[in-house]
Amino acid sequence: MGAVYRTLALGVRPVCIAAVACCLLQSLDAAGGDAFTRVLQPALQQSCIKCHGERGAPNGNVDLFALRSSDELVQNPELVRSLVKVLDSGVMPPAGEPPLAMEERQRLVAGLRDVLHLAVSAQESFPQAPMRRMNRFQYNNAVQDLFDLRVDVFALPERMLREYGYFRPETGKMPENLKAGSRPLGKSQLIDKRLAGVAPFPQDLRAEHGYDNRGDHLTLSPLLLEAFLKLGTSIVESEDFSDRTSGAWARFFAPPPDPENTEVAVREALRDFLERAFRRPIENDLIERYVDHVMRRIRSGGSFGDAMKAAASAALASPRFLYLYDRAGQGEAAKRLDDFELASRLSFFLWGSIPDRTLFELAAEGALRDASVLQRQVDRMLQDARLKRFCDSFPTQWLQLERIVSSVPDPDRFPDFYFAKFRASMHMMLEPLLLFETILIENRSILELVDADFSYRSELLESWYRDGTRPQRVPPVAIPFRRVPVADRRQGGVITNAAVMTMTSGPERTRPITRGAWVADVVFNDPPDPPPANVPPLLPEEGADARADLTLRERFAEHRTQADCAVCHVKIDPLGFALENYGPNGVWRDAYDDGQVVDASGILFGRREFSNIVEFKDAILAERDRFARAFAGHLLEFALARELEASDEPALDRIVRETGASDYRIQDMIKQVVLSEPFLSKYNPVRSEDRSL
Amino acid sequence: MRSPSRRSFLRGVGGAGLALPWLESLAFADRASTPTEGRPPKRLAFYYVPIGVVRRGFFPGELHAGLPAFNGDSSAIVETRTAVGSRPIELTPTLEPLKGVKSKVALVTGLDRTFQNGTDVHAQCACCFLSSAAPFTVSSSAWPLDRTLDHVVADEVGHATPFRTLEFSCNSHRDNLESIYFDNISWYGTGHVAPSIRDPRKAYRRMFRTQEVGKFRDITDLVLEDARTLQQELGHADRRKFAEYFDSIRAIEERMDRLERMAAELDEVSIAEPPEAHLPRGAYIRLMGDLMVVALQTGLTRVATLMVGPERWNTPFTFESLFDKPVSHHLMSHSQKEFGDELLKIDHFHMQQFAYLVEKMDAIAEADGSTLLDNTIFTYGSGLGDGATHQYNDLPIVVAGSGAGMLKLGQHLHCPEGTPLANLWLTQARVMGVELDRFADSAGVVPQLLA
Repeated sequence: MGAVYRTLALGVRPVCIAAVACCLLQSLDAAGGDAFTRVLQPALQQSCIKCHGERGAPNGNVDLFALRSSDELVQNPELVRSLVKVLDSGVMPPAGEPPLAMEERQRLVAGLRDVLHLAVSAQESFPQAPMRRMNRFQYNNAVQDLFDLRVDVFALPERMLREYGYFRPETGKMPENLKAGSRPLGKSQLIDKRLAGVAPFPQDLRAEHGYDNRGDHLTLSPLLLEAFLKLGTSIVESEDFSDRTSGAWARFFAPPPDPENTEVAVREALRDFLERAFRRPIENDLIERYVDHVMRRIRSGGSFGDAMKAAASAALASPRFLYLYDRAGQGEAAKRLDDFELASRLSFFLWGSIPDRTLFELAAEGALRDASVLQRQVDRMLQDARLKRFCDSFPTQWLQLERIVSSVPDPDRFPDFYFAKFRASMHMMLEPLLLFETILIENRSILELVDADFSYRSELLESWYRDGTRPQRVPPVAIPFRRVPVADRRQGGVITNAAVMTMTSGPERTRPITRGAWVADVVFNDPPDPPPANVPPLLPEEGADARADLTLRERFAEHRTQADCAVCHVKIDPLGFALENYGPNGVWRDAYDDGQVVDASGILFGRREFSNIVEFKDAILAERDRFARAFAGHLLEFALARELEASDEPALDRIVRETGASDYRIQDMIKQVVLSEPFLSKYNPVRSEDRSL
Repeated sequence: MRSPSRRSFLRGVGGAGLALPWLESLAFADRASTPTEGRPPKRLAFYYVPIGVVRRGFFPGELHAGLPAFNGDSSAIVETRTAVGSRPIELTPTLEPLKGVKSKVALVTGLDRTFQNGTDVHAQCACCFLSSAAPFTVSSSAWPLDRTLDHVVADEVGHATPFRTLEFSCNSHRDNLESIYFDNISWYGTGHVAPSIRDPRKAYRRMFRTQEVGKFRDITDLVLEDARTLQQELGHADRRKFAEYFDSIRAIEERMDRLERMAAELDEVSIAEPPEAHLPRGAYIRLMGDLMVVALQTGLTRVATLMVGPERWNTPFTFESLFDKPVSHHLMSHSQKEFGDELLKIDHFHMQQFAYLVEKMDAIAEADGSTLLDNTIFTYGSGLGDGATHQYNDLPIVVAGSGAGMLKLGQHLHCPEGTPLANLWLTQARVMGVELDRFADSAGVVPQLLA
């Protein structure tokens, strides 16, 4: 969580829906009595209230003692959501307390889920991503598509993987052999064809446990607007901006054959251009302002092309281009997106950019909101080369792969990591990304992200996984990768690869807690809460309190004996220690340097024991619904550009339910995200005081 | 372009021997808003050090105190044993670089902030440092983060300068590890960051390439009309956020006007464009500091912040001249037993750069014979009282410059327990001429600091 503080204490979140919701819950339970008094209350009283309310200040600020009726729960969906989470993941009741029998736990979770659905259906306000400026990546893509540019606008190191012609989603197949490069670490990998003289604005930081498209993080300042103003001008004034680089040149910048018709031609070209740029039908007044702008220049002697360029650069600084937003809805309730808003939401989700002409035309016809049309469009978009933008933003951020860029294993212990000016991480980082792209293009099951029987490996990686060495010669630019079968289940998937294992280690040692937190966040979408007061985070691996006679695991176990620490660490630690067989360079080890044998055993969610990494993967696969739900959550969060809240839970339930039969094939999941209630809705009411503006 | 012959280049960038030009006339460019005719305007600047300090190196009287144990709890308290009140400054190892300017600084200890439960303990260090709002008084945010002091003061004194404020940062990380909350001390308001410039070249160009902005004039009319009509289509929450667009356009337009008025004078400033090459850590901080100083000196702005590095951000990086390997300041800070010497070196290093900037400001004479430092309040501070205990109380604060004689310097002032840091901010705001009864969670001014 971390990014948003959620108040869990009852009654703090004012939602006035109690009466309606309470009736609903009772009617649901027609069999006899109130589900709350029959199922939920006894269970909560038996297993929870001892620490949560009965004896004064409730632990974790969660007071369940005061609960008297279901409507108190219904009024607080965030509380219910967190109860489902801690019960379902076995975090509560904590070790040392009487355990909850499996059936009872399931009954409790199911009952609480019902309450949650009810609470959401009775809810009147919904989360909505605020209006936000484009981030740097989206701006680049949008400008590229608007002008049909064959080159980049500026260098984007955030696009980590550079592909050499293999990415062809329309074939539904990744080639056996391909070449890829690492933009941040490879040689000359940032030198793409791009517009000369155009300087980017700084990369946008990723929200904590979130993505770099998050609405609440993308604000404007004079500094940034100035950068946008400069950018707009420098793009159209770049010497490379011409009919050779821009496919839109003839439409927008070439003078009409008959100078008599100039104004008509200007108006026509501008309507087309501004509709594309602003993603909506344009009012005449607005067009006429831009026509004036152009015609004034032409009348005072400017060329057609230059005058149109001036208008284009203004359009690029217009808030109608720069901002992503949904228009105000009438009344208080959540509304369906209109067709144009839907087209934009869809294209920014899958293409990181403005809608293309097909989407725009369908929106103009009012057809896009039709579910079958929408699904066909998603299919089309998934087979379009622009899908690369999704692959350039979602998987790298989901996996937090940017962390590998600054990983520096100890050069004395891992000399082969370094060669010439390069690092083995240059190869490592590409492997999980290529796996993701394969699963996406070939519409495979997301379970293969956990456990795949193939991978793309370079010569270096083959050798690295063998024994942590590298070949004599390593290509620093376009690296050949080959699709190889991975029979050894210790390898394969996005968790146990060298990139993730290296970036979650320190230079000298692995960091099990860092790894555990990574698994909790990435794999289960349940990042550890920030440490509450009185709980020291456990980071003694840096050495101060290190005791040489203890294994790392024993040292952590010592800290875990404190009940307050245990709550979080019982969740994180097993996830991290399961990976202890992978050293700080990602290479397999049976024992530590001092000879102590690695113990990777543990229990997942308090119910699935494992003794090694293969069994750990099996345990995750046994909890496939949970992984699928986590992954769907990541997708939905990325698609909506906001944090998820309790009201998004029913949508996640549905996505998981709808895709389970096909083993959660990734394209099916994406489609269900698009068809989900939150994706199709907006909530941005006007208040009376706004109308006077 | 100005001819190179008129400039003194910044050779050996950030080097101690560098003589920056000063411009008498420019200090008065904003005469209109200067309360006292004929006196140089007051300036306000901040130097933020991340991740706290090692107490025994910094605070007088704690040299032989026990090593604090690691604790992630912001309410852990290590209090200095100093008695409340004023005394001469004792130069501890970390304060030693200030020896040349001892009479022009005040060491202020005993100032506290309150941590608001709900975020990581580091998350509020920097972003709420200049805000320090009382917990849970800022709705809709996990952070007690309100409009920060630099902007509150600039609202009053920034009307005539091309830039209301300038934000500089020396974040040398190449990865994208942390969110905006760890990387910014300057905020327009809750959730609305005032982003800083990390790249000295970009900072330079923004400040001195005056001709670049001129051409936006005829664009702004057009896009403002787009903005006005767009606003009508938005819901309530978006309308509020969208104000940022109008504010930004207005700020840019005002800047164009003011830079035009100053163009001839700015042309006299001889400072060369910084090179693109990688700068060693110290040179980087000094260069960004130089740019900040020249901005304050010339009247480009009266309010500026310099963030030495981001909070937390575990990625190791190189402190050239200090260590031969990249180190992670944050991870080391948890263990003073093992990394005490390294951490003391970092603290000393940061203080050296601060002292360099203080001395530089003190060497710049203003029209009335005073120095730039004399007319400035330049505050060194960190958001944690100790990197290991993660305490939000007893913060390390050094105030340099007297704000035109209004602050009493040359003293070590230890405040009574529970004195909010915001008391210092309120004091500074008042000295800067801002009529405020209260700032953030302040309970009054720091009277002993007033001359």
